[in-house]
Amino acid sequence: MREALRSEFVKQHTTKTTVSLLGAMLGLVLVSVLLHGFGFSARDLAIRSNQLRVFVEAGEGLGATFAGLLGAMSVTTEVRNGTIRPTFLSIPQRGRVIAAKATTSMLTGLAFGLVATGIAALIGTIVLSGRGIPVQLDGSGYALLLAGGASAAALWAVIGVGIGAIVRNQVIAIVAIFVWIEIVENLLVDSAPAISRYMPATLGQAITGDRIGALHTPALGAALLALYATVAIAAGWRTTTRRDFA
Amino acid sequence: MTVSTDASVVGVRDLVKRYGDEAAVDDLSFSLAAGTVTGFLGPNGAGKTTTLRLLLGLAEPSAGEALVFGRHYRELDRPSCLVGAVLESDDFHPGRSGRDHLRVLAAATSIPEGRVDEVLDLVGLTSAARRAVKTYSLGMRQRLGLAGALLGDPDLLVLDEPANGLDPAGVQWLRSVLRSFADGGGTVLVSSHLLAEVAQSVDRVLIISQGRLVADAALDELAGPNQSLEDVYLELTAETVS
Repeated sequence: MREALRSEFVKQHTTKTTVSLLGAMLGLVLVSVLLHGFGFSARDLAIRSNQLRVFVEAGEGLGATFAGLLGAMSVTTEVRNGTIRPTFLSIPQRGRVIAAKATTSMLTGLAFGLVATGIAALIGTIVLSGRGIPVQLDGSGYALLLAGGASAAALWAVIGVGIGAIVRNQVIAIVAIFVWIEIVENLLVDSAPAISRYMPATLGQAITGDRIGALHTPALGAALLALYATVAIAAGWRTTTRRDFA
Repeated sequence: MTVSTDASVVGVRDLVKRYGDEAAVDDLSFSLAAGTVTGFLGPNGAGKTTTLRLLLGLAEPSAGEALVFGRHYRELDRPSCLVGAVLESDDFHPGRSGRDHLRVLAAATSIPEGRVDEVLDLVGLTSAARRAVKTYSLGMRQRLGLAGALLGDPDLLVLDEPANGLDPAGVQWLRSVLRSFADGGGTVLVSSHLLAEVAQSVDRVLIISQGRLVADAALDELAGPNQSLEDVYLELTAETVS
């Protein structure tokens, strides 16, 4: 298992994929936090829950999305380029490869979530202060935001590996993750909040302490999201160990 | 773990692979002894690649078994130290350098990095090692694939159409690599759809057509007094086409 982990680590650091995803994520975090920070009225932004929303939407939301993409692409890029064949020739115990991908993606996803939420909170706080709006979040609020953003992204990276292993097609996997997080769940939050609060993207928000549409406590949100990650990786493991690789 | 008592390097018995009603590999049996170079021949679509994938654990047989060193490939721990294989000429991330591609494989088997530079030198890619694979010619990719197969200093080489894309000098180089590998006690199974490509470097040929073995003979046993090797090959592989 240590060899599989080391190999995945070398893979992650010898292409531009990770850095490109990080760059794209940071760009979008910046755009999102600036649009929300300057777009809403000072009266709306004076409310604590709205301030948190701005930080969470930009930070945790994009952190989890890009961590999910990172996880999915750890599998789909290999299928697309054919490197999955030398990978399985070196380590024919395919479950070991999937476990290694889940672990390395989880660690990098954690960093993605921490950076995204940290930048969103930092820039968001600067924008609020610049507009003369008193910041309502205290130290523990920031701590929960950062810890929640990092945990949600780490778990989403594992979900991504599962989705990538099941779908295998890069374009379909990327589109599916984007559409699910950014469109499907957003629609569900408004139209069916009773359902959406059990959905994985909303659970990610719940971990940060954001309670809009998510009635769970952060701990329960984390536990339920971890359950999603477990199911996704188990399904990905099962399909990968059983399928033929052409 | 299934350990067979068969001493052969490769043991394929009653191997069948069906896709729907179609049998891509149909009751195939053969074995390879150590230190030999065997050509695995047949027209495109005859089932060569499917057989190699079954042998290397990338696909599961519908019936029968394919063993390397008496065991199923997927049961081998660090198989790269026993078996080196190249199935496609382009199984690389285009943005990764040739050297980093080998570092990924080396890490998966705890092979020291020094060995990476050794095999790069062996296949003549040292000067291009730090360039992205997308800048490589097809011939260079074939060499990099072979470098990956040789990385673990294996006892068996399995190569699927390794001469594709090589220029005449490249084909000659490939022959010399295979020959010296076998002279050092290694076993080689090399597939091709062109008999002429492998005729000079193999001891023995297995010819398959429509998933079935139609010949298993030493090269000099195959041709008759009035027939060239090419004629025999074409006749054998044409016979089963209905």
